[in-house]
Amino acid sequence: MLTRKFPLAFVERYSRFIPDFDAFLDAMQRPLRRTFRVNTLKATRERTLDLLADLKPEPLPWYELGFSLSDGEGLGKRIEHFIGLIYVQEAASMAPPLVLRPQPGERVLDIAAAPGSKTTEMSAMMQNTGIIISNDPSPTRVRGLIGNVDRAGCLNVAVCRMDGVSLGRAVAGTCDRVLVDAPCSSEGTIRKSAQALDHWSVAAIERFPSIQKRLILAGYLALRPGGVMVYSTCTVAPEENESVVAHLLARQPEAEVQEATLPGLVMRPGLREWGRESFPEAVGRCRRILPQDNDTEPFFIALIRKGDSSPHPSPLGGGGERSEGEEAAGRGRWRE
Amino acid sequence: MNRRVRELSERFGIPREVFDRLAAIEDQETVFVSTPEVMEFDAVRPMRRGIRLARIYPYSLKPTTFGMQVLGREATRNVVDVSDEQAKLLINGGALSTDIEADNGFVLIRWQGFVVGVGFYKRPVLKSQIPRFRPVE
Repeated sequence: MLTRKFPLAFVERYSRFIPDFDAFLDAMQRPLRRTFRVNTLKATRERTLDLLADLKPEPLPWYELGFSLSDGEGLGKRIEHFIGLIYVQEAASMAPPLVLRPQPGERVLDIAAAPGSKTTEMSAMMQNTGIIISNDPSPTRVRGLIGNVDRAGCLNVAVCRMDGVSLGRAVAGTCDRVLVDAPCSSEGTIRKSAQALDHWSVAAIERFPSIQKRLILAGYLALRPGGVMVYSTCTVAPEENESVVAHLLARQPEAEVQEATLPGLVMRPGLREWGRESFPEAVGRCRRILPQDNDTEPFFIALIRKGDSSPHPSPLGGGGERSEGEEAAGRGRWRE
Repeated sequence: MNRRVRELSERFGIPREVFDRLAAIEDQETVFVSTPEVMEFDAVRPMRRGIRLARIYPYSLKPTTFGMQVLGREATRNVVDVSDEQAKLLINGGALSTDIEADNGFVLIRWQGFVVGVGFYKRPVLKSQIPRFRPVE
């Protein structure tokens, strides 16, 4: 039974392509489970679980460091959280870094990083080596990003506060991996907050594709030939997902969409058409995480490889550009 | 090794190897520590490289909570082990009266084997220097 009132336009749009639509609506009105990730930069999985034993964490079936709690009340006020042994993070949001698979010693760009859940996850995957260029243009959000990088103990992160397109240009052709976790209409957050549904509209969705298309192109430009990018959002709207990937493929025909797989996590194929738009076959290799399949937020993930023969532009800038507000974040806020 | 880093390493008995694969810079009275790749990155100028390790004052070097949480794990000197209740008190900005084997000055507060932050010890008072990020209960 539906306890939340979904707008008619929402139902009309998504019943057209979401399988098991009743189950989808049912899942979208249920509150999210509290989930967290063990931060291996600070302690082993076993040591952290030992300290949190009273909470009886349940492992996620598809990620050995992800856990859910039946009652996560007060998790953010525990000492284990303060010292960065855990990071409270929605389960589906843990998936994009796992698909990207950053390796120790690599150069990685996280082009829209705040508040830092995926930067800190990748930092741990890279065992605090190499470099993650972690960027967000918003002064407020970048403050939260720095706070989380500090708490998680990430020594391999350079935080920038720049327009993502300019940053992509400045590091063109140099990154082994790029994460474009794009700003989006965040339909996924409906499970976190009923207010998100109140603010839902097609007009709100239409605000995002323009920046998303610029960011996916900037992320692709930043990749070295043969490098790998993940484009992800926490929204359902095809305009913000498959259409954006199709835009990249139209501009960069050598880009190759690969199938993302995470054993134990149910993912559905990307759409081949939406409205009057038909997408190339490769777009069907994108993946959708639906809330009814894994009891998570909805998510969209595209795994894209840059062709080996792609033009290799020289990095621009060479120290010329400066990210604003250097080391301003946190000043006056921390008693240190 | 950066002389400020050496100073911290010596005060807290942190093995030098901990810093072997890291780089440090001083900028605006602050010591930052990170991987060499982060320090060498010059395509743009980041607003932050790595983690703040310490603040430089005219007569002292003050280690930061988050720097010591990640790099102070192997400290062997000037470390205070605390109980759950004492840890919560200190994280929330409190002070303790305690007689410990430590020199006066900055000490590391350790709970369950993890450094939770930095305190200032002037026998017998241990005063928290941990930023009041959010209350711990």
